[in-house]
Amino acid sequence: MPRWTRFRRLFGLEPAADVDAELHFHVEMRVRELIECGETPERARLLALQRFGDYEQARIECVAINERRKRDMQRTEFITELRQDIGYAFRMLRRTPAFTLAALLTLALGIGANSAIFSVVHGVLLESLPYRDAERLHHLQMLYPDGTRYSALSAPDFMSLRQDTQVFEQIEAFGIQTFSLTGHGEPLEIEGGQVTVGLFDLLGFEIPIGRGFNADENRPGSGGVTVLGHGFWQRTFGGDRNVVGRTLILSGRPYTVIGVLAEGAQLPNAVDLYAPLEFTASFDANTAQGRRGEFLAALARARAGASTEQIDADLRRIGSELQTRFQQTNAALTFTSMPLQTMIVGDVRRPLLVLLGAVGFVLLVACANVANLLLARGSARQGELAVRSALGAGRPRLVRQLITEAMVLGLAGGVLGLGLAYLGTGALIAARPADLPRLDEIGLDRTVVFFTLGAALITGLVFGMVPALQATNEHLLRGLQESSRAGAGGRRTHRLRSALVVAEMALAVILLTGSGLLIRSFIELTRVNPGFQPEGAIAVRVTLQGELYKNGDQVRNRVAEIEDRLRGLPGVVAVGTGSILPLGGLGALNDFAVQGAPPPPPDVNAEIAVASVTPDYFKAIGTPLQRGRLFTNLDHAKSPPVALLNEAAVRRWFPKEDPIGKNVLSGGPREVVGIVRDVLQRNPGQPAAPQMFLPYTQRTNRTIRFILRAQGDALALAPAVRDQIRTLDPNLPLADVVPLQEMVARSIARPRFYTSLLTLFAAVALALSATGIFGVMSYTVAQQSKEIGIRIALGAKTTDVLRGVVGRALALAGIGVGVGLITALALGRVIRNQLFGVDVFDPVTVVGVIAVLITSAALASLLPARRAATIDPIAAFRQT
Amino acid sequence: MGARDTTIPEVLRGTLDLLILQALSWGPAHGYAVARWIENATGDALAIGEGTLYPALHRLEERGWVAASWGASENNRQAKFYSLTRRGRAQRRVEADEWRRYAAAIFAALEAPALK
Repeated sequence: MPRWTRFRRLFGLEPAADVDAELHFHVEMRVRELIECGETPERARLLALQRFGDYEQARIECVAINERRKRDMQRTEFITELRQDIGYAFRMLRRTPAFTLAALLTLALGIGANSAIFSVVHGVLLESLPYRDAERLHHLQMLYPDGTRYSALSAPDFMSLRQDTQVFEQIEAFGIQTFSLTGHGEPLEIEGGQVTVGLFDLLGFEIPIGRGFNADENRPGSGGVTVLGHGFWQRTFGGDRNVVGRTLILSGRPYTVIGVLAEGAQLPNAVDLYAPLEFTASFDANTAQGRRGEFLAALARARAGASTEQIDADLRRIGSELQTRFQQTNAALTFTSMPLQTMIVGDVRRPLLVLLGAVGFVLLVACANVANLLLARGSARQGELAVRSALGAGRPRLVRQLITEAMVLGLAGGVLGLGLAYLGTGALIAARPADLPRLDEIGLDRTVVFFTLGAALITGLVFGMVPALQATNEHLLRGLQESSRAGAGGRRTHRLRSALVVAEMALAVILLTGSGLLIRSFIELTRVNPGFQPEGAIAVRVTLQGELYKNGDQVRNRVAEIEDRLRGLPGVVAVGTGSILPLGGLGALNDFAVQGAPPPPPDVNAEIAVASVTPDYFKAIGTPLQRGRLFTNLDHAKSPPVALLNEAAVRRWFPKEDPIGKNVLSGGPREVVGIVRDVLQRNPGQPAAPQMFLPYTQRTNRTIRFILRAQGDALALAPAVRDQIRTLDPNLPLADVVPLQEMVARSIARPRFYTSLLTLFAAVALALSATGIFGVMSYTVAQQSKEIGIRIALGAKTTDVLRGVVGRALALAGIGVGVGLITALALGRVIRNQLFGVDVFDPVTVVGVIAVLITSAALASLLPARRAATIDPIAAFRQT
Repeated sequence: MGARDTTIPEVLRGTLDLLILQALSWGPAHGYAVARWIENATGDALAIGEGTLYPALHRLEERGWVAASWGASENNRQAKFYSLTRRGRAQRRVEADEWRRYAAAIFAALEAPALK
């Protein structure tokens, strides 16, 4: 300690007063001396001041010096004391290893879980997209009169928007196309982005190798060039920088590689390589042709400062101009936009925030638990604190020391938590929660580390505050003389500890209720009949394009050949082909009307999902025909157009009549020949949409799925399936063979992910609060051992003692359950739209939560209760 | 700051510290006693501008050369007493030696014979 700190008490709180007193003293002494020499008091004063010189100046200087000294001293003192406190804290923690271990584990768990979830929230929601001016990027969309949006634009609409906009600086677009890459090892199916040449500039993509697209490369016939995505370049070309200039055969057409994008330059959709979009005749702001063929994703950068209202007004203005100009195609249609960030992460925002909130509750429970441990230890340290207080340490000083201890504990827990978060984040990413966007951007970066350490410090403050204030309470500090074990302070501490346990229980109840509701929803989701039989069926996707597949007949013949070959495999029951898979999405949407029915009102979206299937498709997926007939080989390209409807379509368009034999209009007129059972298209949470099936021979598309149903292990046939297709055309790229059961698993992967995490959090909270109850009851029993001893001596039965202790625990749990349930129900709305088939007020969940909590409270208090029951009255008396 | 400088005789500017240290070398004293000592010892060098003594005292305190404590004065009033610290004592010796050497050199120069 610097030697002058010894004198620090000599400083008043106010250096100015000290200086004034000192200077006054000087002047007074001089005045007195001058009077003694015979001067009048007035003159003496005048002379004294004259001798003194500039009084104000001297005063100001002195005060400044002293204030500076005071500050320096306080700082040094603070640091010295802090160092002492920290050293002391470490010694205390070492002295009570069991306490330290319990507290550290609890904190590491609470803080680690928070960091892990925060790192996900940060990477997915908070960090801006890796695009230039990302906050000004918008995704342009169609807006239908009934308020629904469609995320693609047609070429002419795109050109009109580009030409007429007043709020967007730049509008670019891309389409996604599947290519087959041949002539480079195994044939590969790859995703290609067909882009307007300005797209890379819009998104700020760097092209470190080679060049980007030239301004004129969207012109028809000028293409034949490609820019590789960084990932694809690494995977397929091993990062070879000499790839520029090479020719790739994509779907049978040669493309020259002209450049490679920088790492991390990626469209929102995963794309392997890019080619210029060919501006065919429909890329014309003045044409009506192709206005209802939407295939472009349009991204636009708004002018700086443009408001949402201005953007919306601009898009609606263009929309209504097009409505007047192109009544045939654009009647009732207009445009809207969505910030790109929302477009990408909108779906997961709410669930992720709910998880963050939930994990915050876990941390609160951990805080309460550690506070409880500290309170228990606080009573053990009462003597030490009383001594320090008697030696002159003020209450603020003692509080500071105790909080420093808590913060040391918190920080140590935070450092351990960071380790846990590192493992946890790895596990979260490895779990690949289905379609969680921006997974690559999740990681323990600097922000997450700061968050963790900040959380650790705040945690220390939160759990340290109550015990610190409690332990330094005046009554207790005076306790040096009194033996106050059962005194007022002890009772107060006990009440506080009980309150903490109640709070823990309440938080656990909230989490349990949330996870209970999600578990119930999840069970409901798995119970939904998907409308097909996933067991025993596998699917493989093939895209038929290139030299061999120039026209529809070639494609259809090849499909028939492949089906025949697959049918010949051992154990195969049925082979079908479809443009879609069950739970694989809606696929294409077409306008739809019933022939002869009045046109629907303009604000009704008359669209239907359309899929092409071969005759055995429904047999292969295991979906029964409800009425009429399925397609046969007699439905071919030149036979009368026919269609099958699903039940949802019948409910929507034929509520009262039998559709079979009726004609529907979609493209041209078609006769409805049968009705099939609804098959889920998106996920079990969304009911089947109206869907129309057409014979593959009458609507032939190039990307198709062969579905194969077999007896026994269908997946074992996968190599044979690939061989058969390869024999027919060795250049066909084959995607992985997928069991249909995986489609089901994928469709509920997201709810499964959220449910598992929330359940994990609830379990941790439950375990922590059970530990809390255990701690408090053990403490109570220890405190009241004398009393219990007397009761036993007076003939109380073991069961009475047991009942007494367990009863107290249950009373605490009861209050916690009550408070928790009320809060949980009030909070229920935040997860309402993640629920399926259960209400927020689900009685099964409520009863389950109560049962789980009461049981765990009873179990946690059983051990202390048994200890109470076995108290030896004589030993209990001697103890004091 | 400039005002203060003009109130101190030029020659004393760097020596006020030394005068204070010297004044305190006989034992603790309050500021007024230090002023009186300087008055007597130097032929009233601080005649106008005694006030400058106090910032100087406080600066010495800040440097750790003197320590201060409140105590009763000879007429039983509360006064701030200054005393030399161990470091202050050493500093006084160093500065006094320096001054002696300096003064001797100047003195010798003044007594020296003319240039040949």
